Amino acid sequence: MSWTTVEIAGKVCRVAVERTAAGVWIGWRGRTVFVPHERRDAARGLSEDEVRAPMTGKVVRVPAAAGMDVREGDVLVILEAMKMEYRLASPHDGRVDAVHCAEGELVDLGKTLVTLSDAPAGTSGDGR
Amino acid sequence: MRAIRKVLVANRGEIACRVIRTLREMGIASLAVHSDVDRDAPHVWMADEAVGLGAPRSYLDATLIITAGQRAGASAVHPGYGFLAENAQFAAACEDAGLVFIGPSPAAMRALGDKRAARKAAEDIGVPVVPGARQCDSPDAAAAAADRVGYPVLIKAAGGGGGKGMRRVHSREEIKEAFAGARREAHAAFSDDRLLVEKYIHPARHVEVQILGDGVGAVALGERECSLQRRYQKVIEESPSPGIDARTRSRLCEAAVKLAAATGYANAGTVEFLVGPDGAFYFLEVNTRLQVEHPVTEAVTGLDLVRSQIEIASGGALPVPPDPRGHAIEARLNAEDPYSQFLPSTGKILMLDWPTRPQTRIDSGIVQGSEVHPFYDSLLAKIICWGQDREQARRRLVTALRETTILGVHTSQAFIIQLLESEELRSGATHTTTIESRSWEPAAVPAEVLQLAARSAHTPAVLRTAGGALCDQYSPWHALGGFRMGA
Repeated sequence: MSWTTVEIAGKVCRVAVERTAAGVWIGWRGRTVFVPHERRDAARGLSEDEVRAPMTGKVVRVPAAAGMDVREGDVLVILEAMKMEYRLASPHDGRVDAVHCAEGELVDLGKTLVTLSDAPAGTSGDGR
Repeated sequence: MRAIRKVLVANRGEIACRVIRTLREMGIASLAVHSDVDRDAPHVWMADEAVGLGAPRSYLDATLIITAGQRAGASAVHPGYGFLAENAQFAAACEDAGLVFIGPSPAAMRALGDKRAARKAAEDIGVPVVPGARQCDSPDAAAAAADRVGYPVLIKAAGGGGGKGMRRVHSREEIKEAFAGARREAHAAFSDDRLLVEKYIHPARHVEVQILGDGVGAVALGERECSLQRRYQKVIEESPSPGIDARTRSRLCEAAVKLAAATGYANAGTVEFLVGPDGAFYFLEVNTRLQVEHPVTEAVTGLDLVRSQIEIASGGALPVPPDPRGHAIEARLNAEDPYSQFLPSTGKILMLDWPTRPQTRIDSGIVQGSEVHPFYDSLLAKIICWGQDREQARRRLVTALRETTILGVHTSQAFIIQLLESEELRSGATHTTTIESRSWEPAAVPAEVLQLAARSAHTPAVLRTAGGALCDQYSPWHALGGFRMGA
């Protein structure tokens, strides 16, 4: 447990700080903020072609399959954590390059679940 | 009278801890059960005895739990909420195994705990219900019912609550996917995938009545307002409701008691209603168990509802309902990131500091060092504040939340403070869609505070010890000196 003080506009305030391998947690007047350490992949920017797990959870269904053409918003993977379902949708029109997860698998936060490539030219929706 | 000497607490987290506290006060031995990942959880070391069950889902394994109770010589089972709490088969199996089930009889659970059956029971005694269909075994049946009552509708799990297995559907096109999703969620949460369809009443308040029954009669302990919800999960609850008058209050309580008496309801239960803008109310469902938000009723009545449950289960008389005093508000702290689509947040609680202040109750299932797992409900703790009036309770709760520090996982804390400070909550004009009807942007954190992160980032968090093992230097488990829980 680590408390520190910081001066804000001439007034000393108490702030809670905890470091981890991934970043720094800060607690201030009921607000909790996590500041991740700068990482090489973060600096590079997350690819729009990688759909990653936004949380640790279980894969309950994988509607996406390699080679499938998808539209922006199509559900690729359904994750479950804490008894609620979360739908991971395609960020853009394109084609599923590969699926890196399977139904029933427990995946960690940040794991790449599906990789996409841009839609082949001239493809249009199938009217769904 | 059936003497209850040892109680198996068939749950985890804050509710298991809360039940164990009352058992301690009553001089009744407690037996905790736990999954492998919960081996170090607070409810395990708080209890007098503990039995490991195995896999994360083993809290749903009725046979395993009953066997553990029999082996340890338990005389009763307290199911808490969630898991097996509303499973009539489990209640029956407990009684068959010679364990008193601290809750209603399996017959009353079947009659009321099941949403379809409960609607019928309410209709039979003239309590108004939301129009809909109790029987929807296929997307086609759900679509037919929805067409009949008009969109939007809700598809809900017949076998449980808490927003799990529930979908709002605005058009026929959405039915198929919503039905499949609700069914999966219902199956995962309650091991029961039956669904029903109801017309969606809007704008509505969610008001519920706490009842205690003894199988013959029942008493009402006033109402709780639980309109502030997100994805059908309650976020803030209070008692009394700021949105109903004395006449509506007494009519709600009367309907709840009538329903309990008509079904021979025993033990604690909650009758939920939707109240429309015109004051008309519709029966929603009965939760045949202790509710997450029961502490607000305890705060205004002075009763310990777990004690009442145990007394009723051992054949004791119903308490005389005290006149409610003052106002109480509860905030739920969930492990989720309110400013990142409320995504669940898992990990280790690195730092935990609760406020110590008058008329402030903290029901928590975590301590510093606890792991928050993805397998379970996201509720970490509840803070309940009492005040002589609503505004005092509100200010007290805001202050308590500002004085609370939780690091290591994201929680709903800052969002709850925003809600408590919002015009909607201050005025009491809260509806079931208040939260989703506007965006909630986080207030800015001063740059001076954020700069601390950059300054402290240079110190490595993980040190290699002489033995070569990886050791988290901030873990209290590795501290050389003593440390105090909850300090």
